[in-house]
Amino acid sequence: MSAPKLNVADVAGLARLSLTPDETTKFTAQLSQILAHMETLGQIATGDVPEVVPPAQPVLRPDMPTPSLSVEAALANAPAQSNDLILVPKIVE
Amino acid sequence: MSLAHETLASLRRRLSSKEIHSRDIVKDLLTEIGTREKTVHAFTHIDEKAALAAAEKADSSLPLGGIPIALKDNLNALGDPCTCSSKILEGYKAPYDATAVARLRQAGAIFLGRTNMDEFAMGSSTENSALGITRNPWDSTRIPGGSSGGSAAAVAGRLAIAALGSDTGGSIRQPAALCGCVGLKPTYGRISRYGLVAFASSLDQIGPLTRTVEDSAILLSALAGHDPRDNTTDLRKPETFLSKPTGSVQGLRVGLPKEYFLPGMSPEAEAAVRGAAHWFEKNGATLVEVSLPHTPAAIAVYYILATAEASANLARFDGVRYGRRAVEPKDLLDLYHRSRSEGFGPEVKRRIILGTFVLSQGYADAYYRKAQKVRGLLRQDFESAFTKCDLLLTPTSPEPAFPLGERTQDPLKMYLADVFTISTNLAGNGAISLPCGFTKSNLPIGLQLIGPHFGEEKILQAAHAYEQSHDFWKRMPPV
Repeated sequence: MSAPKLNVADVAGLARLSLTPDETTKFTAQLSQILAHMETLGQIATGDVPEVVPPAQPVLRPDMPTPSLSVEAALANAPAQSNDLILVPKIVE
Repeated sequence: MSLAHETLASLRRRLSSKEIHSRDIVKDLLTEIGTREKTVHAFTHIDEKAALAAAEKADSSLPLGGIPIALKDNLNALGDPCTCSSKILEGYKAPYDATAVARLRQAGAIFLGRTNMDEFAMGSSTENSALGITRNPWDSTRIPGGSSGGSAAAVAGRLAIAALGSDTGGSIRQPAALCGCVGLKPTYGRISRYGLVAFASSLDQIGPLTRTVEDSAILLSALAGHDPRDNTTDLRKPETFLSKPTGSVQGLRVGLPKEYFLPGMSPEAEAAVRGAAHWFEKNGATLVEVSLPHTPAAIAVYYILATAEASANLARFDGVRYGRRAVEPKDLLDLYHRSRSEGFGPEVKRRIILGTFVLSQGYADAYYRKAQKVRGLLRQDFESAFTKCDLLLTPTSPEPAFPLGERTQDPLKMYLADVFTISTNLAGNGAISLPCGFTKSNLPIGLQLIGPHFGEEKILQAAHAYEQSHDFWKRMPPV
Protein backbone atom coordinates (compact mmCIF):
# COMPACT_ATOMS: atom_id res chain seq x y z
CA MET A 1 0.00 0.00 0.00
CA SER A 2 1.64 3.27 -1.06
CA ALA A 3 0.37 6.67 0.05
CA PRO A 4 -2.39 7.70 -2.35
CA LYS A 5 -2.67 11.19 -3.74
CA LEU A 6 -5.40 12.80 -1.73
CA ASN A 7 -7.32 15.46 -3.60
CA VAL A 8 -8.16 17.62 -0.61
CA ALA A 9 -10.53 19.99 -2.43
CA ASP A 10 -12.60 17.09 -3.86
CA VAL A 11 -12.89 15.29 -0.53
CA ALA A 12 -13.77 18.57 1.22
CA GLY A 13 -16.58 18.98 -1.31
CA LEU A 14 -17.98 15.56 -0.35
CA ALA A 15 -18.01 16.77 3.27
CA ARG A 16 -19.73 20.03 2.28
CA LEU A 17 -16.71 22.17 3.11
CA SER A 18 -15.24 24.91 0.92
CA LEU A 19 -11.57 25.57 1.53
CA THR A 20 -9.53 28.67 0.77
CA PRO A 21 -6.48 28.13 -1.51
CA ASP A 22 -4.26 28.52 1.57
CA GLU A 23 -6.18 25.87 3.50
CA THR A 24 -6.02 23.51 0.51
CA THR A 25 -2.24 23.81 0.26
CA LYS A 26 -1.67 23.44 3.99
CA PHE A 27 -4.09 20.51 4.47
CA THR A 28 -2.63 18.71 1.43
CA ALA A 29 0.84 18.77 2.96
CA GLN A 30 -0.33 17.89 6.49
CA LEU A 31 -2.73 15.14 5.45
CA SER A 32 -0.24 13.43 3.15
CA GLN A 33 2.18 13.28 6.08
CA ILE A 34 -0.57 11.81 8.28
CA LEU A 35 -1.64 9.30 5.61
CA ALA A 36 1.97 8.21 5.17
CA HIS A 37 2.02 7.41 8.91
CA MET A 38 -1.21 5.41 8.49
CA GLU A 39 0.36 3.34 5.72
CA THR A 40 2.25 1.44 8.44
CA LEU A 41 -0.97 -0.49 9.13
CA GLY A 42 -0.51 -2.25 5.79
CA GLN A 43 2.41 -4.18 7.32
CA ILE A 44 0.27 -5.80 10.01
CA ALA A 45 -1.09 -9.24 9.16
CA THR A 46 -4.83 -9.25 9.84
CA GLY A 47 -5.83 -12.30 7.73
CA ASP A 48 -9.01 -13.59 9.37
CA VAL A 49 -9.18 -11.16 12.31
CA PRO A 50 -12.80 -9.98 12.55
CA GLU A 51 -13.48 -6.25 12.28
CA VAL A 52 -14.37 -4.72 15.62
CA VAL A 53 -17.79 -3.25 15.91
CA PRO A 54 -18.41 -1.14 19.04
CA PRO A 55 -17.22 -2.98 22.15
CA ALA A 56 -20.41 -3.25 24.21
CA GLN A 57 -23.31 -5.40 23.07
CA PRO A 58 -26.11 -3.22 21.74
CA VAL A 59 -29.25 -3.62 23.81
CA LEU A 60 -32.59 -2.85 22.24
CA ARG A 61 -35.16 -1.15 24.41
CA PRO A 62 -38.92 -1.66 24.10
CA ASP A 63 -40.45 0.59 21.47
CA MET A 64 -42.48 2.73 23.88
CA PRO A 65 -43.69 6.26 23.26
CA THR A 66 -42.16 8.69 25.77
CA PRO A 67 -42.42 12.47 26.13
CA SER A 68 -40.16 14.40 23.78
CA LEU A 69 -39.11 18.04 23.36
CA SER A 70 -41.92 20.56 22.92
CA VAL A 71 -42.16 22.22 19.50
CA GLU A 72 -41.07 25.46 21.13
CA ALA A 73 -37.95 23.92 22.69
CA ALA A 74 -37.06 22.03 19.52
CA LEU A 75 -37.26 25.24 17.47
CA ALA A 76 -35.60 27.51 20.01
CA ASN A 77 -32.17 27.19 18.35
CA ALA A 78 -33.35 27.30 14.72
CA PRO A 79 -31.64 30.14 12.82
CA ALA A 80 -34.82 30.95 10.85
CA GLN A 81 -38.37 29.79 11.40
CA SER A 82 -41.99 30.50 10.57
CA ASN A 83 -45.28 28.83 11.60
CA ASP A 84 -43.51 26.19 13.73
CA LEU A 85 -41.32 25.22 10.77
CA ILE A 86 -37.62 25.74 10.06
CA LEU A 87 -36.99 27.98 7.04
CA VAL A 88 -34.40 26.89 4.47
CA PRO A 89 -33.57 28.18 0.98
CA LYS A 90 -35.87 26.92 -1.80
CA ILE A 91 -34.72 23.52 -3.10
CA VAL A 92 -37.24 23.07 -5.95
CA GLU A 93 -37.64 25.69 -8.67
CA MET B 1 -8.74 28.55 54.30
CA SER B 2 -10.80 29.18 51.19
CA LEU B 3 -13.33 26.37 50.60
CA ALA B 4 -12.10 26.34 46.97
CA HIS B 5 -9.04 24.42 48.22
CA GLU B 6 -10.99 21.56 49.78
CA THR B 7 -11.81 18.19 48.30
CA LEU B 8 -15.32 17.22 47.26
CA ALA B 9 -15.39 14.53 49.96
CA SER B 10 -14.53 17.01 52.70
CA LEU B 11 -17.04 19.61 51.49
CA ARG B 12 -19.72 16.95 51.33
CA ARG B 13 -19.18 16.07 54.99
CA ARG B 14 -19.21 19.72 56.05
CA LEU B 15 -22.32 20.47 53.98
CA SER B 16 -24.30 17.56 55.38
CA SER B 17 -23.40 18.51 58.96
CA LYS B 18 -24.56 22.09 58.10
CA GLU B 19 -21.19 23.46 59.15
CA ILE B 20 -21.01 25.29 55.83
CA HIS B 21 -23.52 26.26 53.14
CA SER B 22 -23.29 25.72 49.39
CA ARG B 23 -23.26 29.52 48.90
CA ASP B 24 -19.99 29.72 50.88
CA ILE B 25 -18.31 27.34 48.43
CA VAL B 26 -19.66 29.20 45.39
CA LYS B 27 -18.52 32.54 46.80
CA ASP B 28 -15.03 31.24 47.54
CA LEU B 29 -14.75 29.76 44.05
CA LEU B 30 -15.89 33.04 42.51
CA THR B 31 -13.21 34.86 44.50
CA GLU B 32 -10.52 32.49 43.16
CA ILE B 33 -11.94 32.82 39.65
CA GLY B 34 -11.89 36.62 40.00
CA THR B 35 -8.19 36.53 40.83
CA ARG B 36 -6.82 33.89 38.47
CA GLU B 37 -9.25 33.15 35.64
CA LYS B 38 -7.89 36.07 33.63
CA THR B 39 -4.56 34.21 33.38
CA VAL B 40 -5.74 30.60 33.23
CA HIS B 41 -8.90 31.00 31.10
CA ALA B 42 -10.34 27.65 32.09
CA PHE B 43 -13.95 28.64 31.37
CA THR B 44 -15.93 29.58 28.29
CA HIS B 45 -18.93 30.73 30.32
CA ILE B 46 -19.68 31.47 33.98
CA ASP B 47 -23.11 32.42 35.25
CA GLU B 48 -22.46 33.72 38.77
CA LYS B 49 -26.08 34.66 39.51
CA ALA B 50 -27.46 31.28 38.43
CA ALA B 51 -24.85 29.44 40.51
CA LEU B 52 -25.58 31.53 43.61
CA ALA B 53 -29.33 31.06 43.13
CA ALA B 54 -28.88 27.29 42.78
CA ALA B 55 -26.68 27.27 45.90
CA GLU B 56 -29.47 28.95 47.92
CA LYS B 57 -31.87 26.16 46.97
CA ALA B 58 -29.38 23.30 47.40
CA ASP B 59 -30.52 20.33 49.46
CA SER B 60 -27.56 19.25 51.58
CA SER B 61 -29.22 15.95 52.51
CA LEU B 62 -28.58 14.66 48.97
CA PRO B 63 -25.33 12.80 48.13
CA LEU B 64 -23.88 15.78 46.20
CA GLY B 65 -26.19 18.40 47.73
CA GLY B 66 -24.77 21.87 47.08
CA ILE B 67 -21.48 20.74 45.51
CA PRO B 68 -20.56 23.00 42.55
CA ILE B 69 -19.29 21.12 39.49
CA ALA B 70 -17.88 22.53 36.25
CA LEU B 71 -18.95 21.01 32.95
CA LYS B 72 -16.95 20.61 29.78
CA ASP B 73 -18.55 22.72 27.09
CA ASN B 74 -19.74 19.68 25.10
CA LEU B 75 -22.28 18.46 27.68
CA ASN B 76 -25.84 19.70 27.34
CA ALA B 77 -27.29 21.29 30.50
CA LEU B 78 -30.79 22.71 30.09
CA GLY B 79 -30.77 26.41 29.23
CA ASP B 80 -26.97 26.79 29.28
CA PRO B 81 -24.66 27.39 26.33
CA CYS B 82 -22.95 24.33 24.84
CA THR B 83 -20.48 25.63 22.28
CA CYS B 84 -17.93 22.78 22.08
CA SER B 85 -15.55 25.79 21.87
CA SER B 86 -16.69 26.20 18.26
CA LYS B 87 -18.02 29.20 16.38
CA ILE B 88 -20.59 26.90 14.77
CA LEU B 89 -22.45 26.60 18.10
CA GLU B 90 -22.27 30.28 19.01
CA GLY B 91 -25.51 31.29 20.69
CA TYR B 92 -26.81 27.70 21.04
CA LYS B 93 -28.66 26.98 24.31
CA ALA B 94 -29.16 23.38 25.39
CA PRO B 95 -32.84 22.35 25.19
CA TYR B 96 -32.35 19.38 27.56
CA ASP B 97 -30.00 17.82 30.13
CA ALA B 98 -27.45 15.18 29.19
CA THR B 99 -28.03 12.04 31.28
CA ALA B 100 -24.73 12.61 33.13
CA VAL B 101 -25.82 16.17 33.95
CA ALA B 102 -29.31 15.02 35.01
CA ARG B 103 -27.79 12.40 37.34
CA LEU B 104 -25.59 14.99 39.04
CA ARG B 105 -28.57 17.32 39.33
CA GLN B 106 -30.67 14.55 40.92
CA ALA B 107 -27.84 13.95 43.37
CA GLY B 108 -28.05 17.62 44.38
CA ALA B 109 -25.04 19.05 42.52
CA ILE B 110 -25.10 22.60 41.17
CA PHE B 111 -23.24 23.82 38.12
CA LEU B 112 -20.65 26.53 38.02
CA GLY B 113 -19.11 27.24 34.67
CA ARG B 114 -18.60 25.67 31.28
CA THR B 115 -14.98 24.68 30.65
CA ASN B 116 -12.83 25.34 27.62
CA MET B 117 -11.79 22.54 25.28
CA ASP B 118 -10.28 21.81 21.90
CA GLU B 119 -13.04 22.43 19.35
CA PHE B 120 -15.35 19.38 19.32
CA ALA B 121 -12.79 17.64 21.60
CA MET B 122 -10.30 17.39 18.74
CA GLY B 123 -6.87 18.08 20.16
CA SER B 124 -4.39 17.47 22.95
CA SER B 125 -3.60 21.02 24.06
CA THR B 126 -6.85 23.08 24.15
CA GLU B 127 -5.18 25.36 21.60
CA ASN B 128 -7.83 24.36 19.04
CA SER B 129 -10.53 26.30 20.93
CA ALA B 130 -12.24 29.06 18.96
CA LEU B 131 -12.80 30.82 22.29
CA GLY B 132 -9.15 31.34 23.28
CA ILE B 133 -6.39 29.20 24.77
CA THR B 134 -6.22 27.86 28.34
CA ARG B 135 -2.97 28.10 30.30
CA ASN B 136 -1.48 25.47 32.58
CA PRO B 137 -1.77 26.60 36.24
CA TRP B 138 1.73 25.20 36.91
CA ASP B 139 3.35 27.30 34.17
CA SER B 140 1.31 29.81 32.22
CA THR B 141 3.59 29.53 29.17
CA ARG B 142 2.55 25.89 28.75
CA ILE B 143 -0.51 24.02 27.49
CA PRO B 144 -2.89 22.38 29.99
CA GLY B 145 -3.31 19.32 27.75
CA GLY B 146 -6.54 18.52 26.04
CA SER B 147 -9.11 18.23 24.94
CA SER B 148 -10.60 18.64 28.46
CA GLY B 149 -7.90 21.25 29.23
CA GLY B 150 -10.32 23.74 30.77
CA SER B 151 -11.72 21.13 33.18
CA ALA B 152 -8.21 20.01 34.24
CA ALA B 153 -6.89 23.57 34.64
CA ALA B 154 -9.99 24.60 36.64
CA VAL B 155 -9.66 21.66 39.07
CA ALA B 156 -5.87 21.91 39.42
CA GLY B 157 -6.04 25.70 39.73
CA ARG B 158 -8.66 25.59 42.52
CA LEU B 159 -11.22 27.29 40.26
CA ALA B 160 -13.54 24.27 40.49
CA ILE B 161 -14.02 21.53 43.09
CA ALA B 162 -14.51 18.93 40.37
CA ALA B 163 -15.40 18.87 36.68
CA LEU B 164 -16.70 16.54 34.02
CA GLY B 165 -14.74 15.89 30.86
CA SER B 166 -14.97 13.53 27.92
CA ASP B 167 -12.29 11.14 26.71
CA THR B 168 -12.15 9.80 23.15
CA GLY B 169 -8.39 9.18 22.96
CA GLY B 170 -7.06 10.48 26.27
CA SER B 171 -8.89 13.80 26.61
CA ILE B 172 -9.54 13.36 30.35
CA ARG B 173 -6.36 11.55 31.39
CA GLN B 174 -3.74 13.52 29.45
CA PRO B 175 -4.83 16.99 30.71
CA ALA B 176 -5.23 15.55 34.23
CA ALA B 177 -1.62 14.32 34.03
CA LEU B 178 -0.31 17.61 32.66
CA CYS B 179 -2.21 19.71 35.24
CA GLY B 180 -1.60 17.43 38.23
CA CYS B 181 -5.11 16.24 39.03
CA VAL B 182 -7.02 12.96 38.88
CA GLY B 183 -8.80 12.02 35.65
CA LEU B 184 -10.86 8.86 35.17
CA LYS B 185 -11.98 7.44 31.83
CA PRO B 186 -14.44 4.73 32.76
CA THR B 187 -15.00 1.55 30.77
CA TYR B 188 -16.93 2.01 27.53
CA GLY B 189 -20.58 1.49 28.52
CA ARG B 190 -20.18 2.62 32.13
CA ILE B 191 -21.66 6.13 31.75
CA SER B 192 -24.39 7.26 29.36
CA ARG B 193 -23.29 9.65 26.61
CA TYR B 194 -26.81 10.86 25.90
CA GLY B 195 -26.49 14.64 25.60
CA LEU B 196 -22.72 14.61 25.08
CA VAL B 197 -22.00 16.16 21.68
CA ALA B 198 -20.72 13.12 19.80
CA PHE B 199 -17.19 13.02 18.39
CA ALA B 200 -16.41 9.31 17.81
CA SER B 201 -19.24 7.26 19.24
CA SER B 202 -17.41 3.94 19.51
CA LEU B 203 -14.73 5.62 21.66
CA ASP B 204 -16.34 8.55 23.55
CA GLN B 205 -16.74 8.24 27.32
CA ILE B 206 -17.61 10.83 29.99
CA GLY B 207 -15.64 10.94 33.23
CA PRO B 208 -14.69 13.05 36.26
CA LEU B 209 -11.66 15.29 36.82
CA THR B 210 -11.02 15.74 40.54
CA ARG B 211 -8.34 16.55 43.12
CA THR B 212 -8.39 13.06 44.65
CA VAL B 213 -9.21 9.46 43.82
CA GLU B 214 -11.93 9.42 46.49
CA ASP B 215 -13.64 12.38 44.77
CA SER B 216 -13.41 10.52 41.47
CA ALA B 217 -15.12 7.48 43.02
CA ILE B 218 -17.89 9.65 44.47
CA LEU B 219 -18.70 11.16 41.08
CA LEU B 220 -18.43 7.84 39.24
CA SER B 221 -20.94 6.33 41.68
CA ALA B 222 -23.40 9.11 40.83
CA LEU B 223 -22.83 8.95 37.07
CA ALA B 224 -22.62 5.22 36.29
CA GLY B 225 -25.45 2.99 35.22
CA HIS B 226 -27.72 1.94 32.41
CA ASP B 227 -29.61 4.55 30.42
CA PRO B 228 -32.25 3.51 27.88
CA ARG B 229 -31.20 6.58 25.87
CA ASP B 230 -27.69 5.21 25.28
CA ASN B 231 -27.96 1.54 24.39
CA THR B 232 -24.22 1.03 24.74
CA THR B 233 -24.58 1.47 28.52
CA ASP B 234 -24.14 -1.68 30.53
CA LEU B 235 -27.08 -3.28 32.33
CA ARG B 236 -25.32 -4.08 35.63
CA LYS B 237 -26.74 -2.67 38.87
CA PRO B 238 -25.48 0.68 40.21
CA GLU B 239 -22.68 0.38 42.77
CA THR B 240 -20.86 2.62 45.21
CA PHE B 241 -17.20 2.73 44.29
CA LEU B 242 -14.46 2.81 46.92
CA SER B 243 -17.03 2.48 49.71
CA LYS B 244 -14.43 0.52 51.71
CA PRO B 245 -10.94 1.69 50.80
CA THR B 246 -8.44 -1.05 51.63
CA GLY B 247 -5.40 1.23 51.43
CA SER B 248 -3.46 -1.84 50.39
CA VAL B 249 -1.96 -3.23 47.19
CA GLN B 250 -0.81 -6.46 48.83
CA GLY B 251 -0.95 -9.35 46.37
CA LEU B 252 -1.88 -7.16 43.41
CA ARG B 253 -0.30 -8.22 40.10
CA VAL B 254 0.77 -5.05 38.32
CA GLY B 255 1.66 -5.34 34.63
CA LEU B 256 4.27 -3.08 33.04
CA PRO B 257 3.73 -3.12 29.26
CA LYS B 258 7.18 -2.87 27.73
CA GLU B 259 5.86 -0.87 24.74
CA TYR B 260 4.91 1.97 27.13
CA PHE B 261 8.44 2.83 28.11
CA LEU B 262 9.81 4.40 24.95
CA PRO B 263 13.37 5.54 24.25
CA GLY B 264 12.17 9.03 23.22
CA MET B 265 10.13 9.77 26.35
CA SER B 266 11.03 12.34 28.99
CA PRO B 267 13.58 10.78 31.38
CA GLU B 268 11.99 12.61 34.32
CA ALA B 269 8.53 11.23 33.44
CA GLU B 270 9.93 7.73 33.06
CA ALA B 271 11.80 7.93 36.38
CA ALA B 272 8.66 9.10 38.22
CA VAL B 273 6.52 6.32 36.75
CA ARG B 274 9.16 3.67 37.47
CA GLY B 275 9.35 5.09 40.99
CA ALA B 276 5.60 4.51 41.34
CA ALA B 277 6.00 0.93 40.11
CA HIS B 278 8.69 0.45 42.76
CA TRP B 279 6.28 1.74 45.43
CA PHE B 280 3.73 -0.89 44.40
CA GLU B 281 6.36 -3.62 44.65
CA LYS B 282 7.63 -2.40 48.01
CA ASN B 283 4.06 -2.51 49.33
CA GLY B 284 3.37 -6.10 48.45
CA ALA B 285 2.37 -6.02 44.78
CA THR B 286 4.11 -8.18 42.19
CA LEU B 287 5.44 -6.50 39.06
CA VAL B 288 4.98 -8.46 35.85
CA GLU B 289 6.39 -7.47 32.48
CA VAL B 290 3.71 -7.80 29.82
CA SER B 291 3.50 -6.96 26.15
CA LEU B 292 0.85 -5.11 24.16
CA PRO B 293 2.53 -5.79 20.82
CA HIS B 294 0.19 -3.75 18.61
CA THR B 295 0.72 -0.51 20.56
CA PRO B 296 2.83 1.11 17.80
CA ALA B 297 -0.17 0.84 15.43
CA ALA B 298 -2.64 2.45 17.83
CA ILE B 299 -2.22 6.06 16.67
CA ALA B 300 -2.84 5.19 13.02
CA VAL B 301 -5.87 3.03 13.95
CA TYR B 302 -7.25 5.75 16.18
CA TYR B 303 -6.91 8.62 13.73
CA ILE B 304 -8.59 6.55 11.00
CA LEU B 305 -11.54 5.39 13.12
CA ALA B 306 -12.05 8.56 15.16
CA THR B 307 -11.99 10.82 12.11
CA ALA B 308 -14.27 8.47 10.16
CA GLU B 309 -16.84 8.56 12.95
CA ALA B 310 -16.38 12.31 13.40
CA SER B 311 -17.00 12.99 9.72
CA ALA B 312 -20.40 11.30 10.09
CA ASN B 313 -21.24 12.77 13.52
CA LEU B 314 -20.39 16.33 12.50
CA ALA B 315 -22.54 16.16 9.36
CA ARG B 316 -25.39 17.34 11.60
CA PHE B 317 -23.88 20.83 11.79
CA ASP B 318 -25.30 22.12 8.55
CA GLY B 319 -26.78 25.49 9.50
CA VAL B 320 -30.36 24.24 9.28
CA ARG B 321 -31.78 23.31 12.69
CA TYR B 322 -29.38 24.96 15.11
CA GLY B 323 -26.02 26.67 15.24
CA ARG B 324 -24.42 29.14 12.90
CA ARG B 325 -26.08 29.83 9.55
CA ALA B 326 -24.33 31.68 6.71
CA VAL B 327 -25.91 35.01 5.83
CA GLU B 328 -28.00 35.17 2.62
CA PRO B 329 -27.18 31.79 1.11
CA LYS B 330 -27.91 31.58 -2.59
CA ASP B 331 -29.17 27.98 -2.35
CA LEU B 332 -29.20 25.05 0.06
CA LEU B 333 -25.77 23.78 -0.97
CA ASP B 334 -24.30 27.22 -0.47
CA LEU B 335 -25.92 27.32 2.98
CA TYR B 336 -24.28 23.98 3.92
CA HIS B 337 -20.87 24.89 2.52
CA ARG B 338 -20.60 28.39 3.93
CA SER B 339 -22.17 27.63 7.34
CA ARG B 340 -19.72 24.76 7.86
CA SER B 341 -16.67 26.47 6.37
CA GLU B 342 -17.22 29.63 8.42
CA GLY B 343 -18.17 27.73 11.59
CA PHE B 344 -15.50 25.01 11.90
CA GLY B 345 -11.86 25.69 12.78
CA PRO B 346 -8.85 24.18 10.97
CA GLU B 347 -8.37 21.01 13.07
CA VAL B 348 -12.04 20.08 12.74
CA LYS B 349 -11.93 20.62 8.97
CA ARG B 350 -8.73 18.58 8.72
CA ARG B 351 -10.29 15.67 10.60
CA ILE B 352 -13.57 15.77 8.70
CA ILE B 353 -11.62 15.63 5.42
CA LEU B 354 -9.44 12.76 6.67
CA GLY B 355 -12.49 10.87 7.95
CA THR B 356 -14.39 11.39 4.71
CA PHE B 357 -11.38 10.16 2.75
CA VAL B 358 -10.82 6.95 4.77
CA LEU B 359 -14.49 6.05 4.26
CA SER B 360 -14.58 6.95 0.57
CA GLN B 361 -15.09 4.43 -2.20
CA GLY B 362 -11.84 2.71 -3.14
CA TYR B 363 -10.13 3.56 0.17
CA ALA B 364 -12.48 2.24 2.86
CA ASP B 365 -11.04 -1.30 2.68
CA ALA B 366 -7.43 -0.18 2.92
CA TYR B 367 -8.05 2.30 5.75
CA TYR B 368 -11.31 1.97 7.68
CA ARG B 369 -11.76 -1.82 7.52
CA LYS B 370 -8.06 -2.47 8.02
CA ALA B 371 -8.09 -0.22 11.09
CA GLN B 372 -11.11 -2.07 12.53
CA LYS B 373 -9.22 -5.34 12.21
CA VAL B 374 -6.10 -3.97 13.88
CA ARG B 375 -8.39 -2.62 16.59
CA GLY B 376 -9.45 -6.24 17.12
CA LEU B 377 -5.78 -7.19 17.60
CA LEU B 378 -5.30 -4.34 20.09
CA ARG B 379 -8.25 -5.61 22.13
CA GLN B 380 -6.77 -9.11 22.11
CA ASP B 381 -3.48 -7.62 23.40
CA PHE B 382 -5.30 -6.26 26.45
CA GLU B 383 -7.30 -9.46 27.04
CA SER B 384 -4.13 -11.50 26.97
CA ALA B 385 -2.25 -9.06 29.26
CA PHE B 386 -5.07 -9.24 31.83
CA THR B 387 -4.67 -13.01 32.12
CA LYS B 388 -1.23 -12.26 33.65
CA CYS B 389 -2.00 -9.21 35.80
CA ASP B 390 -4.80 -7.32 37.60
CA LEU B 391 -3.88 -3.80 36.47
CA LEU B 392 -1.52 -2.20 34.00
CA LEU B 393 0.77 0.60 35.16
CA THR B 394 2.05 3.06 32.54
CA PRO B 395 2.90 6.73 32.06
CA THR B 396 -0.15 8.79 31.03
CA SER B 397 1.86 10.98 28.68
CA PRO B 398 5.39 10.59 27.30
CA GLU B 399 6.29 14.06 28.58
CA PRO B 400 5.11 16.85 30.87
CA ALA B 401 3.19 19.90 29.55
CA PHE B 402 4.82 21.34 26.42
CA PRO B 403 5.06 25.07 25.58
CA LEU B 404 2.09 26.87 24.01
CA GLY B 405 2.35 27.06 20.22
CA GLU B 406 5.01 24.35 19.95
CA ARG B 407 2.90 21.91 17.91
CA THR B 408 0.08 23.92 16.39
CA GLN B 409 1.62 23.70 12.91
CA ASP B 410 2.49 20.01 13.16
CA PRO B 411 -0.68 17.96 13.68
CA LEU B 412 1.12 14.61 13.39
CA LYS B 413 3.47 15.52 16.25
CA MET B 414 0.43 16.61 18.27
CA TYR B 415 -1.28 13.25 17.56
CA LEU B 416 1.78 11.31 18.77
CA ALA B 417 1.35 12.86 22.25
CA ASP B 418 -1.65 10.51 22.73
CA VAL B 419 0.40 7.33 22.35
CA PHE B 420 -0.21 6.00 25.90
CA THR B 421 -3.90 6.82 26.21
CA ILE B 422 -5.62 5.94 22.93
CA SER B 423 -5.26 2.15 23.08
CA THR B 424 -7.60 1.96 26.07
CA ASN B 425 -10.31 3.81 24.13
CA LEU B 426 -9.84 1.42 21.20
CA ALA B 427 -10.06 -1.58 23.55
CA GLY B 428 -12.85 -0.07 25.69
CA ASN B 429 -11.02 -0.41 29.04
CA GLY B 430 -11.23 1.99 31.95
CA ALA B 431 -8.14 3.90 33.12
CA ILE B 432 -7.19 6.59 35.61
CA SER B 433 -4.41 9.20 35.64
CA LEU B 434 -3.11 10.52 38.95
CA PRO B 435 -0.07 12.58 39.92
CA CYS B 436 3.12 10.59 40.63
CA GLY B 437 5.74 13.31 40.77
CA PHE B 438 7.04 16.61 39.48
CA THR B 439 9.86 17.57 37.16
CA LYS B 440 12.75 19.76 38.36
CA SER B 441 10.95 22.71 36.81
CA ASN B 442 7.86 21.87 38.89
CA LEU B 443 5.61 20.37 36.21
CA PRO B 444 3.31 17.51 37.24
CA ILE B 445 3.82 13.97 35.93
CA GLY B 446 0.92 11.52 35.57
CA LEU B 447 0.70 7.81 36.33
CA GLN B 448 -1.87 5.73 34.44
CA LEU B 449 -3.53 2.63 35.86
CA ILE B 450 -5.55 0.62 33.34
CA GLY B 451 -8.04 -2.03 34.39
CA PRO B 452 -9.89 -4.87 32.70
CA HIS B 453 -13.40 -4.06 31.40
CA PHE B 454 -15.55 -2.80 34.29
CA GLY B 455 -12.56 -3.03 36.64
CA GLU B 456 -13.04 0.48 38.06
CA GLU B 457 -13.20 -0.71 41.67
CA LYS B 458 -9.76 -2.32 41.29
CA ILE B 459 -8.36 0.79 39.60
CA LEU B 460 -9.74 3.12 42.27
CA GLN B 461 -8.56 0.96 45.19
CA ALA B 462 -4.99 0.81 43.89
CA ALA B 463 -4.93 4.48 42.88
CA HIS B 464 -6.30 5.53 46.28
CA ALA B 465 -3.71 3.45 48.15
CA TYR B 466 -0.89 5.01 46.12
CA GLU B 467 -2.25 8.55 46.38
CA GLN B 468 -2.70 8.43 50.16
CA SER B 469 0.93 7.36 50.66
CA HIS B 470 2.13 10.45 48.80
CA ASP B 471 1.42 14.16 49.00
CA PHE B 472 1.54 15.08 45.31
CA TRP B 473 -2.19 15.81 45.28
CA LYS B 474 -1.83 18.39 48.06
CA ARG B 475 0.57 20.63 46.14
CA MET B 476 -0.71 23.96 44.93
CA PRO B 477 0.09 25.34 41.49
CA PRO B 478 1.77 28.77 41.48
CA VAL B 479 -0.43 30.54 38.88
